[in-house]
Amino acid sequence: MSLSERVMVIGAGPAGLEAARGVADLDRQVLLVESKGQLGGTPYEHYATLTPHLRETGDVMRAMLDGINSHPLVDVRLETRVVASEGEAGHFRVTLENADGQRTEEEVGAVIVATGFSHFDPGRETQMYGYYEYDDVVTLVDAEHMMQNGRMVRPSTGEPPERVAFIQCVGSRDRQIGNTYCSKVCCGIASKQSIEIKRMLPNAKIFIFYIDMRMYGFWEDQIYWKAQEEHKVNYVRGIVTEIIKKGDKLLIKGEDTTMGRPMEVTMDLVILSVGMEPSRGTLQMGQIFGLPREPHGFLATVGEPLDTVSTPVAGVFVAGAAAGPKDIEDSVSMGGMAAAKAVGLLNRLARALV
Amino acid sequence: MPSQLYQEVPLAEKERLFQLVKSDARFDSYLYGCYECGICVAACPSARFYDFSPRKITQTLAREDVELFYEQLNDDVWNCSQCFSCLRCPRQNSPGGLITIMREVAVNNGLKTTQEALAGYTRIIYKIMTTGTQVSPDMLQEDAFPDWGPQVKEVAANLELWRRALPPETLHTTGLSWDVEERTMHELYMIWKLTGVMDMITALDEGLHDIMEEIMEDALEDSGLTID
Repeated sequence: MSLSERVMVIGAGPAGLEAARGVADLDRQVLLVESKGQLGGTPYEHYATLTPHLRETGDVMRAMLDGINSHPLVDVRLETRVVASEGEAGHFRVTLENADGQRTEEEVGAVIVATGFSHFDPGRETQMYGYYEYDDVVTLVDAEHMMQNGRMVRPSTGEPPERVAFIQCVGSRDRQIGNTYCSKVCCGIASKQSIEIKRMLPNAKIFIFYIDMRMYGFWEDQIYWKAQEEHKVNYVRGIVTEIIKKGDKLLIKGEDTTMGRPMEVTMDLVILSVGMEPSRGTLQMGQIFGLPREPHGFLATVGEPLDTVSTPVAGVFVAGAAAGPKDIEDSVSMGGMAAAKAVGLLNRLARALV
Repeated sequence: MPSQLYQEVPLAEKERLFQLVKSDARFDSYLYGCYECGICVAACPSARFYDFSPRKITQTLAREDVELFYEQLNDDVWNCSQCFSCLRCPRQNSPGGLITIMREVAVNNGLKTTQEALAGYTRIIYKIMTTGTQVSPDMLQEDAFPDWGPQVKEVAANLELWRRALPPETLHTTGLSWDVEERTMHELYMIWKLTGVMDMITALDEGLHDIMEEIMEDALEDSGLTID
């Protein structure tokens, strides 16, 4: 059987796009498969601006999308899913299915899975935040949608909120939920959003209720200190246990551990900092390619911490949040690395045939 | 949870005092932001002996929690020894400096709790402001300092003799810690008046103010120094 020189990238978010660009720049053909109708993945679809520089997502990612759309070596298949695969490194036969249910078979030599994450569904939280009961309890994603529309309001009234609370670690770091990991980016995103809300509503009071603020590297002063010092965002250490309705306000209850006392305060809008879980696509690709999952449920890699993209299945690599919570820097770095590893593998297989 | 103390004081008054602190020219360079590392409390000698936390003071001001601010303005700020060990803050805050501002606001506005907190210091304020020295040898009475032991009585009985035994002539004093030049005292009086310290004392203890004012006026009149 002849070696397929083509690499399939599954998922066209930041990790998949960078993987596709990397493979194409190394002069190999790319089959880029995306289940949605557009490129760009979760950030492009849902986020108004990117952390930490607060630049508009469209502006930041456009060059990346254009580079893929215009690249002669990249064959983009939108609204298409991978439904089956057989074979091995150098000789995968994959079955694709488009939106009309039409199936095609493709030959590829290596596979990069970049199917990302899904946002935690706050209906599953162990506390009582009432996401599905109260209009004014929203998620980070809902808040990004409001920012995309340029209007930050209380959904119940359509009026701007005067007091806004973020609650951190919703769906993360919770043994009862089953997610014992930190989702890595929510502290930064909540802080980023608090700056944006203060820019839109300078008189709003903003509180961030947290367990630990996890703002590694430059995010510390780029967003955390900036939010606190320049925008007077209040960081209160203590997690809210319950939200109840009080008149047309939301009463949040928790412990203010900073001051060592119980806390009950009213808010106009509560934003739940939901974490990451493996997306449905990630779980499906795990099954189709026989990829083991690591203890938190994401796709396992081998050789950590020095190899972040190789799965235990030869010829299949993973990039981005399919392998665990990642920020965009991590995702594109993994995408580039997965491209190099995939092309490197094909080169080794080609040499072995000579 | 809002503070339950001082409910009788109107929120507007608490807010007014808070704005006085916040609008102080030093405020912005004393308070950046706090991430509750606790190094100020770790370094604070007062925190070891009192229910006092420079971190909570800083945090309260950062949050603009006016109720808690008012509680601290009354009950906490005099527990600080103003040693500024808290300056080791990694965010470069100055909790001690914030307390300095709060104390000035408390004194200038004649808070009842401030009058009470400082009542025991009337003699010391009088001594420092009128003489420029703090605890003088003749204040060493047996009943005032029982913890200094039985020899205090003997020393007090022959105080002048004991003082004369000290080599520096400037220490041959009983009513002052050391000999202060008249000119120095007069300059000191001018500083108290010009910098508004005398006005602060009025808000705190009018009787004390009047006594000192008389001493200073008489002395300055003789000195020829005038305020223009």
